[in-house]
Parts: sequence; structure tokens; C-alpha cells
Amino acid sequence: MLLSLLIALPLFGSLIVALLPNSQREQFRWIALGVTAINLLICGLVYTAFDQSQADYQIGQQLDWITLSLGSLGSVSIDYLVGIDGMSFPLVLLSVVVMLIGVISSWNIQERQRAYFSLYLLLTGTILGCFLALDFFLFFLFFEFMLLPMYFLIGLWGGPRREYASIKFFLYTLLGSVLILLVMIGLSMSVMDPISTALATGIINGPEQADTNIIRLIQAQLANGQIDPSRIVHTFDFRYLSDGGNYLPGSFLSVAGETFPLGIPSRMLAFWAVFLGFAIKLPIVPLHTWLPDAHVEAPTPVSVVLAGVLLKIGGYGFLRIAWGFFPDGGAEYARVLGGLGVLSIVYGGLCALAQNDVKKMIAYSSVSHMGFVLLGIASLTPEGVNGAIYQMVSHGVLSAMLFLIAGVIYDRTHDRRIDSYRGLNHAMPQYATLTAVAFFGSLGLPGFSGFVGELFTLMGSMQSEWLPGWQTALATLGIALAAGYFLWTLQRMFFGQYWTRVGAHVGDSGAHMGAPLRDLTPRERGMLISLGVLALVMGLFPNLVFNLTSASVGEWLKRFLVG
Amino acid sequence: MDTPLETVLISLLLLVPFAGFLAVRASSERWAGPLAIGLTSLGLLFSVVLLSITDQPSVPILGEWLRTSGGSILVGFRIDRASGVILVLAHFVALLVQIYSLAYLDEKADRPRYYGYLQLFVGAKAGILLASNLIVLYAFWELVGLASYLLIGFWYEKPEAARAAQKAFLYNRVGDVGFLLGILLIYNLFGTAEFSQLTAVAPTGVGLLLFMGCMGKSAQFPLIGWLPDAMEGPTPVSALLHAATMVAAGIFLLARIHPLLSPDALVVVAFVGTLTALWGGFSALYQTDIKKVLAFSTVSQLGLMVAAMGTDNLTGGLFHLLTHAFFKAGLFLGAGAVIHTLHTQDMRQMGNLRRTMPTTFWAYLVCAASLAGVPFLSGFLSKESILAGAFAWADAQSSGLAYGIPLVLLASSGLTALYMARQVRMVFFGDASSHAQGSMPDRQKAPPASSRLLTAPVLLLAVLSGWVWFSLNPLSAHGSWVESWFSETSLMGGTTAPNKGHTAPVWLAPASIALVALGGWLGFRLHADPSVMQHSDRPSPNRWIVRASLRYGFLDDFINKFIVLPIRRLATGTYRTDARVVDGAVNGAGVGMVVLAHITNALDRFGVDGLVNGGAWLARQVGRVTRSVQGGRIQSYITAAVVGLLLIIWLIS
Repeated sequence: MLLSLLIALPLFGSLIVALLPNSQREQFRWIALGVTAINLLICGLVYTAFDQSQADYQIGQQLDWITLSLGSLGSVSIDYLVGIDGMSFPLVLLSVVVMLIGVISSWNIQERQRAYFSLYLLLTGTILGCFLALDFFLFFLFFEFMLLPMYFLIGLWGGPRREYASIKFFLYTLLGSVLILLVMIGLSMSVMDPISTALATGIINGPEQADTNIIRLIQAQLANGQIDPSRIVHTFDFRYLSDGGNYLPGSFLSVAGETFPLGIPSRMLAFWAVFLGFAIKLPIVPLHTWLPDAHVEAPTPVSVVLAGVLLKIGGYGFLRIAWGFFPDGGAEYARVLGGLGVLSIVYGGLCALAQNDVKKMIAYSSVSHMGFVLLGIASLTPEGVNGAIYQMVSHGVLSAMLFLIAGVIYDRTHDRRIDSYRGLNHAMPQYATLTAVAFFGSLGLPGFSGFVGELFTLMGSMQSEWLPGWQTALATLGIALAAGYFLWTLQRMFFGQYWTRVGAHVGDSGAHMGAPLRDLTPRERGMLISLGVLALVMGLFPNLVFNLTSASVGEWLKRFLVG
Repeated sequence: MDTPLETVLISLLLLVPFAGFLAVRASSERWAGPLAIGLTSLGLLFSVVLLSITDQPSVPILGEWLRTSGGSILVGFRIDRASGVILVLAHFVALLVQIYSLAYLDEKADRPRYYGYLQLFVGAKAGILLASNLIVLYAFWELVGLASYLLIGFWYEKPEAARAAQKAFLYNRVGDVGFLLGILLIYNLFGTAEFSQLTAVAPTGVGLLLFMGCMGKSAQFPLIGWLPDAMEGPTPVSALLHAATMVAAGIFLLARIHPLLSPDALVVVAFVGTLTALWGGFSALYQTDIKKVLAFSTVSQLGLMVAAMGTDNLTGGLFHLLTHAFFKAGLFLGAGAVIHTLHTQDMRQMGNLRRTMPTTFWAYLVCAASLAGVPFLSGFLSKESILAGAFAWADAQSSGLAYGIPLVLLASSGLTALYMARQVRMVFFGDASSHAQGSMPDRQKAPPASSRLLTAPVLLLAVLSGWVWFSLNPLSAHGSWVESWFSETSLMGGTTAPNKGHTAPVWLAPASIALVALGGWLGFRLHADPSVMQHSDRPSPNRWIVRASLRYGFLDDFINKFIVLPIRRLATGTYRTDARVVDGAVNGAGVGMVVLAHITNALDRFGVDGLVNGGAWLARQVGRVTRSVQGGRIQSYITAAVVGLLLIIWLIS
């Protein structure tokens, strides 16, 4: 119930904002603030109810939604099913926090407030839906619906090239969605819901009779072909999709499924399809080029949400769907996948080093940091996978902070070029201090969360039997590069004699001394300090996150022991 | 063994400076200094008490930092005699430096920031010394790097200072990347990073990766260049971080990981140390900046210590760390007094200061003599210990080439005398009037109260450069208490005390004394080298040897040209590729789709149109559905996706 509320509240708020007359303009942001704040409170309640030692899904809610007869192929059931486990809960917590920060950072949006806050709340609801849904169909619905508000938020409130950026973002993600959709359909045709099938075949008379013995029995019957195909109930349920026993023998995606030309089994193709779908989202080089454009053109709060939360759906999809349903794919291609992670780390770092646009620099640093997530997951070790989730949460907090920092300077001058500023430390000491905190936190200074995420993913990849040692060695270069691009930016923008090229546009040569820039407003200070403190607390007490993830990750990893 | 008092003291030593960092930063210009001094005095007290109750290495105080399904990582702290002594040393020098800074910093200095960063440093340094495993050590290691970055860049409005700070952090990062990899490999091999359990020899490569950490922090070849640049920081900071304590962390690390290093790895360590000792000594020869001479001398001495570690001589290396901390801090603080008085760092504008600053002169002279290795001073003792160890090590090696190491070390000790004599000659002797006309009146204005704060710490450090604090025998520390402080037993625990002290060959002491005398005499003459003494800001020395010394063997030019520049080119190239090729492909695909759509459209209009009436009808229907959903594309896509899915399911069945 609580989890459904997390989704429903923002969606309802979005509707309210959309329906209120423009004379109530002042109320829109308050509604958004209220909704996201209440969501945070609900998450607090969920936290107290969450059992950290349990690996399974919990606090769930299930409602029958659609049941469709497929004639001789049985039937398919689609449920409204939500729940959390150790892998999704940290990301839910992160989303709720970042969405609240995003509202605060949107406080001074002036244009089309109704549309803005309505879309923003819609985005909030769909993002949370993505992390909470445990039915592939429901997940996909939220996943797709997320595009709509995001597209408009970039396309209408963005910078000069916003239309290009939003279309690019949209098409890229759509391409990924198509791949995911194909696999989803294939999965649903290949997997049965053991309990419903047991009901349909008359083995049990009510769902309450189902226990592990019954499930084993029905799975054995399935394996032996004793079940009439027309009685099989196909499903989108995550819980059944991740259990190999539920796959129909000889079906498209069963372990001994069809083989395509070049000897590629269909399951491997399906793995790569979902991998690519989510790799676009994360993003993984070379599927990342939408990210710098989207970030640069998006308004600050949208950048914050994009980097802070949206990218993490890619990593979540890896864990839950790509590796979750196709563990054989994750094991088979571990080296390639780890290599892609390393490529992202180094490539993103090098690109970040070459930037003169502070927002682009941060965007490429995101690419680099998300590479650690892939590396950690590909390692298939407890350290690596826990570290990957931790890295996602840590990056969510720190990148939100970084984009707020870029927003502060853009807000003052509408100029994001690094070489337009020198010695900002002089005019904006508080801003400089908090920037230094965010930069050092992001480059992996011990004490902040970035260090733990990198340490653990690297530890995992080093220990992994699946990955060669040189991958870890190359990945550590990313740490040196991070120090390079962050410190160089710090030196160029904040140190030296104070000088700015205020208001000058590209191509203008008339650099002049402007009025000193205003230091942080209380609102900006509040946001930056709270995120900084969050990164610090997570860095000092990493168990806050690891205690949540550990049990589920341990259970998750067991599927790789068999193959 | 482990007592509650120990736990309390260790916790306080770590917590007080970090809390102090926040408190001092929040305090006022006036109270920041006294508050910080008070806190560090407390720290000194704690560390003295802690040392006095420490006999054997303590059982680490462990806490679980984090746990995953794979295992847990512990945070642990412990103390032993060696780290206890260095802990006391670090607090002592930090205290002196902070007192000295009261007078050294001028009015608009932003003291809360300055003293706050120093507190941060003290806490991080204590963490390195007290860490019981490699991961904790690494964490504090990075924090020390941060403190160093912040302090070098303290005068951030000076572009050189900002650049130097960045350079320091990046050079250290390069070393730390190797260090981190080494730690991860150690963790893999041993399943733990606790020092008490890391007693077996690790593969040579792993040991060398760990050594990279030391190369960065202790400015070993080729990561030397950041240390001379770090002199852009305030001089008291140079004394504390970049001479006495921080840069010595690498030496301490080597002592900690010594059991892990294979004989081959140790040879590399010895070689790098020896090379650095020579390189630094040579680079110091012709410098004109008073602080740069000292910086290169620090590089050289660190090389000496590293070489001691490489030649299996823990005692000698740590002993030199200790004596070096006193006299080098004394030299920096003395140089600071000179700079404070003359407002220049250029030695060519100094001279004859022994008349105007006699106290500083005598203290400086003692420290310099100790550094040069003059008998009856501490430097002589520790250098003899290192050289004796190196000769003993060479004796044990199979190859005669091994004698290269002690011989080069001996030669670089000779260099020390040379450049220090030159410096003392340039600063304190000679004719002042021809060099520093404009500067002398400034000195007169210096308030006497502040000058006492500037001289007293230097005097104290000069006194501590005597031999008697370390050994009763002025010519050898063999068998003194230093050996019980700094031995493998002291670091690792154990009951047997192997006598690792080395008896020097009989000819060693006379030979090195002769070398010192020769170096000193040459140094006194060297000062007048006309190619360096030109009165211009940018000397254009025409002799290659001078040029090479001034630019420390063109090391930085080499690194800039062959490492930094290629990386920046690679970055720019990668980004260009990204924008043109990768993104170009994406955009090209987009354009291609549109073109294809137009072609299809044309085909459709001219070819297929008449045939597909049913299609037209379908299109109208879809169009109507689309139009009815406000906003267009996206909703219709969703609708289409859902309808399409159902359609597919229906078709399959």
C-alpha cells in the first residue's frame, strides 16, 4: 500500500496541478514540494518496515490486472505488482531525495509553471513506478511513460539547442525500448506462472495452497511436457522470470532455446538486446552521445533528475532484467561487458578532460562514473555488485550536487564556459567551498561516498574470476583522470585573480570586468549542503547502504554459481 | 598490550584534529591561531603519553566499517614504538610551526582557513601513523594529499600557487593509482589488509605497485617535480608538510610494508632511492631560490631514506626521517625568518645576514651542518647508519655492481655539504650592500616581539640537531635507543630482537668527514659562479650543467612533453572523435532515416498508392486516433505500443 502511494501521489498531484486554474499559479510549486516531501516521509516509513536480512521482495502489493486468453497457447496474465528488495530500495530512496531537491531547485521557474510542475510530478511518479514495479509489463509501461515528461521538460524549458537534444534523447531511448519490448514479449511467451498454472490445471484449488512443493511439482510437470499448453498461464512477473524452472521447454528463450545463424543462442541475443536497451540509459560508450547534449540543454533541475536518478534505471535494468533473467549471458560475456565498463571509464574521463563547458565536463564525468557500475556488475562478485549499487546511489547524490553547482553559475551569467571565469573563490567563497567539496567527493576522496563506490567496484573486479586483471588496472586510470579534470576545472575557474566574462556571448571578444557575482542564496546553500552532508554520511557509514543491499545481492549472485 | 587508555588516546588523537578543523575554520582571525595551538598541544600530550605506555605493538582496535555478503572491511588503529615516536615528532613540529606562524603570517592572511587546514593535516597524518591496515592507511593518505593541496594553494590568487597545488595532487594521484592497485592485489592474495597479518613476501610486481604510493608522496624519481613547486605554499607549511612530516609518510609506508617486498623489489627501491638522492643533490647545486635549495635537498634526503629501506635498513631510514625532520624544519623556519625580513626568496639579493640576524644565523648554521653530516650532530649519525647499512647490504649481494648504491649515496652526501655551504655563504656571508639595497630598511621595521617568535622555534630545532638526543656516542648510533625505537621488532612485534644495527667499515667515518669538508670548501667557492649571479629575474645560464641543475635534469620538461601533452592531446582527440565519429554516426543515422522515409514516401505516392486502398483506410483510422490524443507523438506511440503488443499476442495465438 505504501509503495503504491509513492507512485500514486505524484501522479495524482500531476493531475491536480494540470487541472488547477492559472490564477492558482503560486500553488503549483507548493503542491510539488508537498508531494515530494510526503513521498520522503513515506519512504521513511518504508525504511522502518524494511527487513534488511530478507533477500526476497517485500512490502509488496499485487492486484490482478489483465488476463488474456491465447487459445491453444494458454493465457497470459498481467498484474499490478509492486514491491522492493535490497537492489531497488536504495534507488527508491535516492529517487525520492533527488526529486525533492529537484523541486526546490525548480523554485524560480517562471515560464508555464503549470505544465512544468505537472510534468515534473508525472516524471516523479513514473520513475518511482520503474523502480517499484515487479511485473515486466508494468515496468515497461512506466519506463516508456517516463520519456514523455522528460522529452517536454528538456524540449520546452531547455537551452538554445533544446529541440535537437530532446529529440535525440527521445529517439535514443526509444531505440532501447524497442529492444526491451521485443525481449519482454519473448519472455512472456516462454515463461509460466507456476501458481496460476497449477490453478488452471487443477492441481490446487486456491492460490493459498501454493507452496514450494507445489511449485516444484508443477515445474517438474512442465519440464516433462505433462501440462497441456492451453492451460499454461504466461506471465510478466519478475519473480517467475528469474527462475529457470518456469521456462517452457523448447520455447524461444528456454535454456536450450532456438539457435540463430552463426550459432548464437536466442537467449544470448535476448541478453544483448536488453543490455543495449539499458546501456543506452546508463549510458555506456558508444551509446552515450545523447547524454552530453541532453544535459547541456536541460534546465538545471532536469539535469539534476536526469543524472541523479534516470541514469540509474539503466543500472537497475542490468541487475534486474539483463543479468537477472539471463544470468548465462552475464557469465558468458563477462569479459566483454567488463571491457565496455572500462572503456566508458577511460573514454568518459578523457572526454571530460577536453571540455570547456562545465556542464559537459560533468556530463562526461557521469559517463566515466557509470562505467564503474557496469564493471562492478560484470564482476559478479559480492563486492562488485554491492559496490555498483552503492556507486549508483553515491553518483546520484554527487552528480545532483555537481549539476546544481553548474546551475548556480549559469543562473548568474548564462555562460557555462570554464575559461570565462577566474578566481571565483574571491567573489563567491561559499560557492567555491561547496564546489570543492563536490569535486573532491566525486574524484574519490576518502570520507565521501565516491571513494567507497570506486573502491568496491574495483575490489570486485580485481577479485572476479570472470574478469582479467588488466581491466581493473585500466579502470584505476579513471581515478587519476578524475583528479585531472576536476582539479583543472577548479584551478581554472576558482583560483587566480578574480575575473569574469559576464554576459559575453560566443564570438564576442569584448571581455570586461563585470559586477562581482552574487554568492549562494540560502536556497542554493541549503540544497548543496544537504547533498554534501549526505555524501559525507554515506562515505563515513557505507553500511547504511550495504546493509540494505547485501542480502539481496547475495541471493542474486547464487544464480551465477550454477552456470 | 591493549588498554582502555590506549583506545581513548588513539580516538582522541584522531577526533580532536578533525573536530578542530571545523572549530578553527569557524573561529575568528584572532582566535584561530591560539585555538589550533591549544589543540595541537593536547595532541602532543596525548601522543607522548601514548608512546610512554607503548611497549609492544598494540592489538588493533577494530571496528567494522562495512559488510557485504562477500565479507567485511574493518577500520582498525594500532600503535607501536616506531609510529609512536613519529607521532610525537609530527605533533611537536606541527606545534612549533603553528606558533611560528603566529608571527609569520601577515594581517590579511585568513588565519581560520590556514590553521584549519593545518588541523586537517595533523589529523590525517595521525591516521596514517595509527592505521592498522592498508585500506585505512590509504584513506588517510589521500586526506594528507588534500591537506597538502589546500595548503600549497593557500594563496590561491597567485596562479603559480594554484598550479603547484594541482601539480602536487596529480603527481600524488599517479603514485596512488599504483598504490591502490597494489592494495587490491594484496587484498586478493592475503584476504586481508591488516599489517599484522601481512608477513609473507608478495610478488615483486605487487610490492612495486605499493611502492608507487611512496614514490608519489615522498617525491621519488620520476615523481619529483611537485615538491619544488610546492614551495609556493607558505614557508611554515613547507617546513611541516614538505620537509618534516608529510613527505616522510612514504618512508613510513615502506617500513610498514617492508615484509611484503621481495628482494628484487627491494633492489628497485634501493635503486630509485639512490637515483633520487643524486638527482635531488645535483638539482640543489645551482638554485637561486632559498626555498628551492631546501626543497631539492629534501628530495635528496628522502632518496637516502628510501635507499636505506631498499637496503634492508629500516632503522637507518626511520632514524634519518627523525633527525631530518628536526634540522630540515629548522632550516625552513630559519629561511622563513630571512624571507619575512627581506621580502625576497632570491639568494642573490641576500648576504651578510650573520651580522643583522645573528641568532637565526647560528641556528641555521647548526641545522645546515647537521644536514651536511658534520660530526657531533644528528645528521652525521643517521647518515652513517644509512651508509653503513648500504655497505653491509652490498657485501651480501652477489653482484659487485651492488656497491654502486652505497658509493653513489656517499657521493650525494658530499653534494649535500656542497650546496648547503653555498647557501650559507650566499645568505649569511659576503657583502650585503651590493645585493640587497632596497631590502634592508624593511628589516628594521620588523617588530621585535614577532622576531622572537620567529627565532625561538629555529633555535629549539637547532638544539635538537645535536647528537646527544639520539646516541651517547657522537660518532655512531649503534646500540643506542634509536635502534629499539626503529626496528622490525618494534614495528611487527615479537620477542626476539635481531641485531640489525650495522657496524660501519672503519674507513667510512673518516671518508665521509673528508667528503663533507671538501664539499663545504667547494660550496663556499661555488657561490660566486658568475653565470648564476647575474642580477636578473630570469637568469639565462649558458653552461649546460647550470641549466640542467636549475631545471632538475629537464625532468619536468620531459614529463610535460612526453606525458602531460600527449594525454591532453589524447583527451582532445577522443572528444573530437566522440563529437564527429560516434555522434556523427548517430546524426547520420537520423538523417538517413529521414531520407529513407522520403524515398519510401515517393515510392508510395507514385507506385503503390492506387493499389492499397485498404492501407489508406488504415492510415486514416490511425491518424484519427492520433489526432484525438492531445499532444501528439508520444501518447500515440504508447497507444501503438500497447495495441501492437496485444496485436502480436493475438497474431501468435
